Amino acid sequence: MNSMERIVLTLQHKEADRVPVYPLLNSVSRKATGITYEEWSKDPKKCAESIIKATEEIGADCICTLVDLSVEAADWGQEIVYHDDSAANPAMNNRCIKNADEYSTIKIINPRETPRMSEHIELARLLYEAKGQEMPIIGFVFGPLGILSMMRGQEEMFMDLIKCPDKMQIALRNITETLKEFCAALIESGCHAIMFDTLYASRTIMSAKMWDANEGVYIQELCEFVREKGAMVMLHNCGAGIYFKEQIERMHPVAISFQHIPFDCTDMEEVKAKYGGQVTLIGHIEPGFIFTATEEELREMCRKQLDAYKKGGGYILATGCEYPASMDFEFAKVIVDEAKNYGKYA
Amino acid sequence: MNKEQLFRTAYESILECNEDKALQVIRDAQANDLNLIELLSMGFSSGIRELGDLFGRGEIFLPELIYSTEVMKAATAAIEDQIGVSDIPKKGKMIIGTVAGDVHDIGKGIVCSLVKSNGIEVIDLGREVPALTFVEKAEEYGADFIGSSALLTTTMTEQKKIEDILRNEGLRNKYKTLVGGAPVTKRWAEKIGADAYCEDASDTVHLILGWVAKK
Repeated sequence: MNSMERIVLTLQHKEADRVPVYPLLNSVSRKATGITYEEWSKDPKKCAESIIKATEEIGADCICTLVDLSVEAADWGQEIVYHDDSAANPAMNNRCIKNADEYSTIKIINPRETPRMSEHIELARLLYEAKGQEMPIIGFVFGPLGILSMMRGQEEMFMDLIKCPDKMQIALRNITETLKEFCAALIESGCHAIMFDTLYASRTIMSAKMWDANEGVYIQELCEFVREKGAMVMLHNCGAGIYFKEQIERMHPVAISFQHIPFDCTDMEEVKAKYGGQVTLIGHIEPGFIFTATEEELREMCRKQLDAYKKGGGYILATGCEYPASMDFEFAKVIVDEAKNYGKYA
Repeated sequence: MNKEQLFRTAYESILECNEDKALQVIRDAQANDLNLIELLSMGFSSGIRELGDLFGRGEIFLPELIYSTEVMKAATAAIEDQIGVSDIPKKGKMIIGTVAGDVHDIGKGIVCSLVKSNGIEVIDLGREVPALTFVEKAEEYGADFIGSSALLTTTMTEQKKIEDILRNEGLRNKYKTLVGGAPVTKRWAEKIGADAYCEDASDTVHLILGWVAKK
């Protein structure tokens, strides 16, 4: 059974030969080719080569195109700062939306022609050509509200959500229209699924009502668009107190990649019982835990999660967010090893 | 308006995120010869404490908290203008910053506002602060607490450097150290030898006030 067959069965909530595994190997993959974070972020060929090498060396079952959360915002003119050893970020003191009146300056753009989104599309194509027959390629797209916060600043955007949410809607609408084309291009490049990062759909950030009014309505359209284009919808959210119910209602995803137990559940068993039949659960070993754990503690954590989630399929053993970029591959291999052995179905 | 009504109005202005109301009650308090320090501690600070608790219990969220802390900042600044900063009694002093290599500071900003609103003097060193600077500034300002925030697994190691410097310089017992940030855990705090892990801003306030009470 190859990775594609394994994940297809898992998404159908059937037991494959074993639980699939994906320790969110994104920026850490640059270590496979010895390049800097900046080179990895800017050069789709080097990025694809790194991801492919790391995926093969570690033995993961799928590939996701996450590079950083500034990909989309950069193409609306947000100044981005690149680093050798950490993720690119927006220039904090030079946001491209400087006041609430400037939300109206965010127009629809063509992601096939803008620098970073077109590179991301190229990255997806390269990954699909190399690995797309044997494992799913998942296109990673930041949600509209997340993109807007990169351009406005989180604190300022949160204030605007209370003071003048109406002014933001034109920008959210134009971002959504742009993202539809971005998703279409990623799907044409071979992505089997689009994973939306709905960063703010968690209780530690904003109310479910505020999220629904300002992102839920747009993300629903995007998800329907993705399905019309023949791809699957997944979502990633590493926030504490993630809203599963509200997002499932809007997005109807086939899978949710998460880091923390959703706020309406108390433990892993309840997550499986409440949501395991509706979506495939992807997660949720915390990168912060990996950073401090011994190998034995990590194995124990993998087994605890496998015990809670693996029965009946619908579970992919994964990290809850990106595997720590500063670590080597050894603990990622430990996670894969646990899926391959302890995660075997009888 | 009597004293209790003024306190109540100040308290409400914070919970309602209403800056106009906050500034008006300061004027009303002055007109009624009410001590503004009392208004700050019994009215506004009481509101911000309640807000912090509501946030801790998940009954309000980040946008509301940020907005209200802005109202609190405006009210505090208006009172300081009237009576002078040095007249406001402080319970302690905290050095805080986001560690080197880390530009994220929304969480740290909220911690600053809430801690300050609870009577602690806060020296905010900003973003991308080298480990040595935390220690140097703590010495320079005679701080009681050192708080560091790291939002990335790539920058968490800077928090360990702060602990190492304190230990190497023989200063470890002089300060209480607090660590926070998205990937940071209680386990990490214990591993590097920090005094406390702060899950959120409300948690930070409770920890600090607990230490202050034991002093």
